[in-house]
Amino acid sequence: MQKNKGAEPVKKKITIGIPRAMLYYRYEVLWKNFFSILGADCVISEPTNKEIIKSGTAAAIDEACLCTKIYLGHVKSLIGKCDYILIPRISNFGIKRNMCTKFEALYDIACNTFRKTSQKFLTYNVDVIEDCPEEKAFIEMGIELGFSKKEALNAYKEAKKGETESLKNHLKANESLYKKNGLKILIVAHSYVAMDSYIGKPVTDFLKKLGTVPIMADVVDRKDALKRSAKVSPTLKWELSRELVGSIDEHIDKIDGMVLMSAFPCGPDSMVDEMIIRKFRGKPILNITLDDQDGTAGLETRLESFVDILRFKGGTL
Amino acid sequence: MNGVKKVSFPSFTHYNYAFKYFMENGVGARYIMPPQMTLRTLDRGTKASPDYVCTPFKTTLGSMMDCLEAGADTIFMSMGLCRLGYYGELQEQILRDMGYQFDFVNLSEYSTGKRRDYIKALKRLNPRMSVAKMMLVLAETVKLVEQLDEAEAMYYKNCGFEKVKGSCKTAIKRYHTAVETATTGRELEAAYKKFKKEFNDIELDKPENPLKVGVVGEFLTAQDAFSNLDVEQKLADMGVEVYRYLNATSRMFHYKGKNLQVETSEYCKYDMGPTSTINIWAAKNYASHSFDGIVHIKSAGCTPEIDIMPVLHNISEDYKIPVLYLTYDSQTSDTGLATRLEAFYDMISMRKKVL
Repeated sequence: MQKNKGAEPVKKKITIGIPRAMLYYRYEVLWKNFFSILGADCVISEPTNKEIIKSGTAAAIDEACLCTKIYLGHVKSLIGKCDYILIPRISNFGIKRNMCTKFEALYDIACNTFRKTSQKFLTYNVDVIEDCPEEKAFIEMGIELGFSKKEALNAYKEAKKGETESLKNHLKANESLYKKNGLKILIVAHSYVAMDSYIGKPVTDFLKKLGTVPIMADVVDRKDALKRSAKVSPTLKWELSRELVGSIDEHIDKIDGMVLMSAFPCGPDSMVDEMIIRKFRGKPILNITLDDQDGTAGLETRLESFVDILRFKGGTL
Repeated sequence: MNGVKKVSFPSFTHYNYAFKYFMENGVGARYIMPPQMTLRTLDRGTKASPDYVCTPFKTTLGSMMDCLEAGADTIFMSMGLCRLGYYGELQEQILRDMGYQFDFVNLSEYSTGKRRDYIKALKRLNPRMSVAKMMLVLAETVKLVEQLDEAEAMYYKNCGFEKVKGSCKTAIKRYHTAVETATTGRELEAAYKKFKKEFNDIELDKPENPLKVGVVGEFLTAQDAFSNLDVEQKLADMGVEVYRYLNATSRMFHYKGKNLQVETSEYCKYDMGPTSTINIWAAKNYASHSFDGIVHIKSAGCTPEIDIMPVLHNISEDYKIPVLYLTYDSQTSDTGLATRLEAFYDMISMRKKVL
């Protein structure tokens, strides 16, 4: 992690709690860098485990999606362990570049759910349509933490540089997977599903165990993916889904099959997965909906038979 | 016929009449009234839809099939701020995959915020549309929507207390028929005046302090009587004044989101979703005006409405007001709903006596 040489030491070190869920997987580098440059400490919650899901489910509305439940579990596990818990509100990055409404509401959901605790929450608001770009949002957040505008801006710029760098490396590593030998399976899922140690990770791990190469679809040149998705589905408006659709469009010829993985009942995925199945014909697709059931045997059977189909199709079975 | 289309918009409560008036008089297209939705509509829609998409997707898809069956050759679909914004494209894809042939005008494709793009969409319905005429009729249509909403509000406030059973229903039905056949703004105005007079003359038997219930919820399910199994009527019939702030007038034409947000700032810092602020504001408003209960209506899986539930919990706790949460999916049964409503009614009426 980068160290800031010029900044004055903060009088009392602030600790920021970051839930290891939802957008953590997308903004990990940006957040950690930003706070460490400002001289604040970060506490990241534990990888998702049964305890976290259980306490999150108890705190959340029954009908909320699994990811919300997991998120609230992470928030709960951080309560009392830090000065602030970071929960951004990200609405959109422009026209037809929306986030799921969940990300608009997450901060207020957490505040309302945990209002009986004395925990303080920290937020920043990205809403480009309402003239609130990310930079402005981060400056405001910095000011709220007691830093000057200049300090916050510098920290943001520095952190953003680090993020771009890390994205580039990540992308390079991911692209090389497409050239690997073996069955290549594109994992079409939001990063907070695919990377979650309790729900998504077991799937990719199992696919690896079966000797295939699972590749994350969401690691992609984002700008290019947005352009491609507009061609495939012009009115698709969720940024994360557009990246996935663009990524499929880009890589469809380099892969053997796709696994669509979504958490029950994900709003955007309920429609986008259907559209993907209807638009991209010719490659085998496995559509998995994850919930917080414990048994993995059923899932494993489905994955095994899917891989068998791919092998059969490729003539290697 | 000169490129003039036979247009339908999926059935959506009394706004069907407003669409008809606008399409026929403003755009100059023919409007095919969507047939009254039935269980068959829901059934067919559900079968063709993805599993866990929200229920309005299924009903509107079913309604589109009904419209095509009724003779429409063009479907007009709205844009939207939540999943609704993606309805159109996926529904078109599903219908085309099934083999239906039709024109599809999806407002989402034109939602750039610029007026000329919306006009482009309308010109597809009638290439020779006069923009000036359309704008004029649009203003009349907005007025019509306001009147329809107001008529409905009057209806649900009073229909539970009529002396002669069915007199309110007759009045509003007569009004809707007059609106459906009207071709000028003056006729609309006259019809509304007549309705108001007729409705005000209906004899009521209302106690001094009747039970009052406020309805909040998801835009389509809360408003559309078919989608919510006529929940407002059922409540009213027990002898309740039913209020609903949420409608097209308040959410679309006279929406002052920022101001509502100021008044709900103790519960939420941001706008949480398309109808979240208006619903939270309305719920708080009902609660602080000593209503007896709140009913929250949504379809299964409606993300924005699920998200405001923690806020409603808190409002309920702070103002000591009971909230009934109703979730509708394609299998909700009428009897189950009736039982829950009766229990809710019993509870709030007992509470009123005690307090």
